[in-house]
Amino acid sequence: MDEKVGVGGAWGWFLQRITGLFLAFFLIMHLKVLHLTSEWHLDFKVVTDRLQASGWWGVFYILFVPIAVFHGFNGAWGVIEDYRPGKASGSGIKAFLWVVGILLCIYGYLAINALLRKGA
Amino acid sequence: MYNKKPGIIGHYFHEINRNPNTGTWSWFLHRIAGVVLFLYLFPHFLVTGSYFLTGSTEKFDFWTKAVQTPLFHFLEILLISAVAFHLLNGLSVTIADFFLMTRKHKAIQWVSIIIFIAVMVLTVVMFVPRVLAH
Repeated sequence: MDEKVGVGGAWGWFLQRITGLFLAFFLIMHLKVLHLTSEWHLDFKVVTDRLQASGWWGVFYILFVPIAVFHGFNGAWGVIEDYRPGKASGSGIKAFLWVVGILLCIYGYLAINALLRKGA
Repeated sequence: MYNKKPGIIGHYFHEINRNPNTGTWSWFLHRIAGVVLFLYLFPHFLVTGSYFLTGSTEKFDFWTKAVQTPLFHFLEILLISAVAFHLLNGLSVTIADFFLMTRKHKAIQWVSIIIFIAVMVLTVVMFVPRVLAH
């Protein structure tokens, strides 16, 4: 019973809820546009036309990607924490998750950017 | 808090056996859905980024076509169920946490379950024609 709640644990809890609330909005929009208002058939032209129809889509995805990645990786850390990793392996895993998460955000930005600029 | 470390899967049986209530089930399903969505992120990023990665619109078309088969449209239903459950259950947890409504959490959870069922009925009605439209 002498276990301490990790430093920053409350931040992880708090940010998971805040990013979750943002994601509720972003994901509903994302799924609505993709599945309710979009064509059934998807290809390069359909996707780029849709993304380039409004300048807001760039803003939308540049916010959406890091928020989703943070929520996913913070959630993954929560799962790992349930197995109570040791202090050293815990911080190793945490550092690894941060690096992969940041790389994914950069990749996501570049991938969306390529679709936003093609033929625009 | 228990001191014995249960196995990766045993952990879940252990928790559900100890406390077989709606809250434990919601925690368990929330986790399954969360892990599924986390894993989904990677192939999704790869397919969406296939134009960035290869610089070829044909490659992008190839990969988007590969994920528009009846099987993938069926998996889409499961994906939406994971999103809907995780989102609604997450909202119910957040409401209980932020508005100090832990005592009412069970009622909030049932509301989220009813909304989830409604969303799934709509999703199945919408998506089954897609699965069959090939």
